[in-house]
Amino acid sequence: MFNDTRDFIEALRSSGDLHEIEKEVHWDLELGAVCRLACEKDGPALWFKRITDYSQEMTAFANPMATWRRVALAFGLPPDTSLKEIYAEYEKREGRLIPPAVVKGGPCKENIKLGQDADVYDLPAPMLHDGDGGRYLGTWDIAVSYDPQTKWMNWGMYRFMVYNSQYLSGFPRPTSHFGKVFQDHYVALNQPMPMALVIGADPISHFTAAATYHLGGEEAALAGGLRGAAVELVRCETSDLLVPAHAEIVIECEVLPNASGLEGPYGEYPGYRTGEMGNGIFCLVTAITHRNNPILTIDATGYRDDSSTITALTGAVAIKRRLERHGVPVLEVNIPRESAVHMAVIGVKYGGKQVAREILETLTSRRALISKIFLVEADLDVYDLGKVIHAFSTKCHPAHGIHVVHYEGRANTLTPCYSQRERAMQKGATVLYDCTWPGEWSREWEVPVKATFDTIFPQSVQEKVLAEWKSYGFKD
Amino acid sequence: MASKTEKQVWETFVRRSGELKEGDAMPMVLRDLAPGRKKYRMRHVVATVRRNAQEAMDLLCVRTVVGVQLPETWGVKILRDLPIELPGKPYRDFYEALKAAAEK
Repeated sequence: MFNDTRDFIEALRSSGDLHEIEKEVHWDLELGAVCRLACEKDGPALWFKRITDYSQEMTAFANPMATWRRVALAFGLPPDTSLKEIYAEYEKREGRLIPPAVVKGGPCKENIKLGQDADVYDLPAPMLHDGDGGRYLGTWDIAVSYDPQTKWMNWGMYRFMVYNSQYLSGFPRPTSHFGKVFQDHYVALNQPMPMALVIGADPISHFTAAATYHLGGEEAALAGGLRGAAVELVRCETSDLLVPAHAEIVIECEVLPNASGLEGPYGEYPGYRTGEMGNGIFCLVTAITHRNNPILTIDATGYRDDSSTITALTGAVAIKRRLERHGVPVLEVNIPRESAVHMAVIGVKYGGKQVAREILETLTSRRALISKIFLVEADLDVYDLGKVIHAFSTKCHPAHGIHVVHYEGRANTLTPCYSQRERAMQKGATVLYDCTWPGEWSREWEVPVKATFDTIFPQSVQEKVLAEWKSYGFKD
Repeated sequence: MASKTEKQVWETFVRRSGELKEGDAMPMVLRDLAPGRKKYRMRHVVATVRRNAQEAMDLLCVRTVVGVQLPETWGVKILRDLPIELPGKPYRDFYEALKAAAEK
């Protein structure tokens, strides 16, 4: 398994999934534009070796897991592993936890700057999109925080922007685990919250930081289980937080309970910049530690970014687990990459109105990230979007096959179709398109017979045709 | 930093059309567009603005809440700085915190 970002870069180089850019690239929009276009072309991960205004010791690595090939590689699988197999592998490893190992030192301590000497402008934070609120230093990161009451160390991947040499502003959603811990245990007591913004750890640690994981779950232990080896953690310089020892850069901060700063707007993972601006958090930098020749890791957020793979994968498995716990007859869940984590295809053993309502209510009772659900039956491959469209077009009754739930206080505030007022109130809705046959329809008399090769011909005819396929003159 | 003959260029974000009012001393957040490593550095200020920059004024570019740059360039004169740590509550309206700090 990969110890750090550098190991992962080597693996990507070997598999042909890395492109190294020797030409000098400007951090102000040019770097972001190169990353964005590479994402949209399903291009390789990028390593920028020369960045304007910075010495060649400082480089940047972008789009680490923005394709399923790179997700597979991060898991130690062949790069051409199918999507279905990647999902299955994550599900298999997800229940296995290996707690982290605390070590005395690590490469992230090769350089230490404290207090006023810690200047975030020493890092080549990019202006990723024209018109963003600032230069985003935290895009492919791990924001480490600690719940003093439950002793829970939480990892999350949240955006943070440079304010000035000593301050960052950020937007971990108020309904996120980070947001809840901060508001409940620090703002309530008017105490600053220690935070460490980790940049360039091993790829699986970043994966788990972005994962949809249950409240109170230790992402560091999940990372250990997924990697098959404990993540080594080392103590911060200005707090007792523990951070991956092999990280490229660690920015230690205090999140201020009684201060405000402008944050955003920012071109986000849904593929739009929605005008989320101003209502974030404000952080004082207390230390920066980094490896020699540190590599800044970047996710060029937008259409087909790293969220479109990793958040989709973990979100789908989390939905499946939640539905299983609520007794829903779920088989498989797919969050298509193109949906920017806004849509889920849920396959069930049997459907109908009751199952549809149960799913809708279960998935919107807490924070509701998904706003569109397609419910399909067991005979459909949830990963085959062509078949999903067919089922939606033909089986979803336009009058009574569409179920909607409205809510307030738990909507995904980055959803582009919500108005600014709705986003401010965290108000939204989720629709479920029921593409299953009504449960009360008779299979012998009422349910239409699907006119496909595998359903409308006797088994003997199917076997004969398959066995003799090439004899009809077909090449494959 | 701009030389004495060059005007400094700042940028601000507004949430609604008509938010900038000529002549009034307004709390604002400005970001520094001077080229270099510290480009986009933020500053909290009280300033006056004019549609056409006068001689003693810096230039002000304006962006909307979704980051679209408006075509008009204004003039801005910084009257005083506000603290970088504005008293306020996380996840609450930053512009309210800015206004409250200016009124102190």
